Amino acid sequence: MAEKKISGSDILLRSLIHQGVEVVFGYPGGQIMPVYDRLMDYGDSLRHILARHEQGAIHAAQGYARAKGAPGCVIVTSGPGATNVITGVDDAMVDSTPVVVIAGQVPVSLLGTDAFQETDLIGLTTPITKWSYQIRRPEDIAWAVARAFYIAGTGRPGPVVLDFTKDAQIGLAEYVPAECSFIRSYNPHPVPSEEMIDRAAKMIDESRKPFCVYGQGIVLSGAEKELAAFLEKGNIKAGSTLLGLSALPSDHPNYVGMLGMHGNVTGNILTQECDLLIAVGMRFSDRVTGKLSTYASKARIIHIDIDPTEIGKNIPVELGILSDAKVALSRLTEKITARKSDEWGMEHIMCRAVEQHRVIDPELHSEDAELHPGEVVDAVASATGGNAIVVTDVGQNQMIAARYSKFTSTRSFITSGGLGTMGFGLPAAVGAKIGTPGKTVVLFVGDGGLQMTEQEFGTIKQEGTGVKIVLLNNNWLGNVRMWQELFFKKRYSFTRMVNPDFKMLADAYGIDCMNVETREELKEGIGRMLSDDKPFLLNVHVQENSMVFPMIAPGKSIDEIMLNEKDFFDREK
Amino acid sequence: MDSKDLKLYEITAYTENHVGLLSAIAGIFARRSLNIEKLLVYPSDVPGIHKFKIVTRCEDDKIENVVLQIEKKVDVLKAFYHINNEYSGRESQLVRELVAQREKEENNK
Ligand SMILES: Cc1ncc(C[n+]2csc(CCOP(=O)(O)OP(=O)(O)O)c2C)c(N)n1
Repeated sequence: MAEKKISGSDILLRSLIHQGVEVVFGYPGGQIMPVYDRLMDYGDSLRHILARHEQGAIHAAQGYARAKGAPGCVIVTSGPGATNVITGVDDAMVDSTPVVVIAGQVPVSLLGTDAFQETDLIGLTTPITKWSYQIRRPEDIAWAVARAFYIAGTGRPGPVVLDFTKDAQIGLAEYVPAECSFIRSYNPHPVPSEEMIDRAAKMIDESRKPFCVYGQGIVLSGAEKELAAFLEKGNIKAGSTLLGLSALPSDHPNYVGMLGMHGNVTGNILTQECDLLIAVGMRFSDRVTGKLSTYASKARIIHIDIDPTEIGKNIPVELGILSDAKVALSRLTEKITARKSDEWGMEHIMCRAVEQHRVIDPELHSEDAELHPGEVVDAVASATGGNAIVVTDVGQNQMIAARYSKFTSTRSFITSGGLGTMGFGLPAAVGAKIGTPGKTVVLFVGDGGLQMTEQEFGTIKQEGTGVKIVLLNNNWLGNVRMWQELFFKKRYSFTRMVNPDFKMLADAYGIDCMNVETREELKEGIGRMLSDDKPFLLNVHVQENSMVFPMIAPGKSIDEIMLNEKDFFDREK
Repeated sequence: MDSKDLKLYEITAYTENHVGLLSAIAGIFARRSLNIEKLLVYPSDVPGIHKFKIVTRCEDDKIENVVLQIEKKVDVLKAFYHINNEYSGRESQLVRELVAQREKEENNK
């Protein structure tokens, strides 16, 4: 029974719907116009969000994917439309975010001729995608889309680019829905052997001071419950990478906070003092390990990860287990011996107390008339009860948001980790809100980063997306200013910003805004901001010269923790 | 260390025969500033599977990761490395078994 032939554009859109896509983020242009022409007729079955820049579209798709736990989808035109998504594609690659980008491409006959808006997108994106593929015929579309979603969403997730030639868009073919659940050269479900699990369990049982470090792999494999059960049975303390935040609730008794450069003292010290380090779904980024040669030097190391290239890449490990975190943790929990006591004694409590006393208290109860950004994040966390999805941009705002936010449920922290993309925040927050409309989505952003993608105010206006934007406005490129203060002899080269009137800007887009300078205004502003589900900009003037501590200087050992400009953490004290 | 002091490794990769794979693999070398001394791409003994043979000078502690990065490409089935010419004749047998096993997995789905 031959079905009627339809255009490649229709096949694409029907294939996306078949893959469960509900929302696409995009921007039209010449070489994708046939697809846009058909898109108009799909109405509610495929909601299209018109971004104001393709970078905004892809970051929104990333925010959507990370909040919702489903792949994000982007449609853009060829040439400049396609090159504008590249930052987001790379960001999704390093942060393991499933997104599928469909980009228009010139007709096949013009490929390689430098035709108008022809860019070698496959060549540009091959190193930063899991798969990049050019669709030249309408017959290949359903197959390519099914394969794209399978690759993007399985194993270690990541971006896929489909370069969609004009011929394939306008050509006619029968639509036969396609599935993909198998590629012989790609195995996203490695199964760890019994022997590996036994060896790991034995190492855990033999250890006296085990410590677990986990990353986004927990969230990506949906292993939050398995992680908690594992830690509880083994009485093991755990610290999170930046991207792992919210996988355990902030008040989980085994949780000791964030790891790395601006992490909590406890996690870094326990890493250095443990006799067994159990790393799960994380990749030993240099922001986590500091100086490699001294990292966890007293410990045997077990590394559980789904990506074989990560095991042993930065840190030599005694036991590498190639596995999905959920599978490995649940099998491991069965095998380990339940343990009541641990040998950490007061160590973690002491570390925590020092940080509280030396860093957190002075920041939250500052004598300064000007607000410390930490107070702002803390006040928002109290007001939302830790139930909001927190999105950040990059810089001090990101680190402070990570340090002071509280989380009650998973997928509640969305940030650009591996690439550190300024401008990620605003569009990612838009995508997160669109993906999870029932949630409060709060963005913490700096004045620099906001101006990188502030055009997305237009998307917010058009869609009425109720994101709560908290601008930690210090009139500096704060994070760079901080490094200049610490490492470049206070030579503040081009980091001062003369800013626009952000309230007027918000007004122009019909976004409610309040300027905040005092503690009273902060309280009032947060109240107003959270009183409804409409977009809001809280423009908070924060201390201009604030720093983010604790800090481990780049290349230093993670126990060389600066508590302020002069003092280092001292375990003996 | 001058790169000519490094050991010569021969990498073999068994792959699908798809457009663009050569540049994807070449990129893994270029990014790490590894010079390719020799390169051959041809149909392997295993039906339907292509073979890359790449000779490069590489630091001993990096070669393993390079091979894993190659194998991580969606279209690559398996990659191996050898020092100089101590080539293992069992490779294609291993790949044949892998293909058979993967196809069995597919049929059991
Ligand atoms: C696209 C991009 N360009 C440059 C940088 C380098 N960078 C990192 S943080 C930072 C300053 C950020 O300033 P701001 O957005 O005001 O946030 P703050 O640190 O003050 O919170 C810069 C320039 C980057 N991460 N991303």
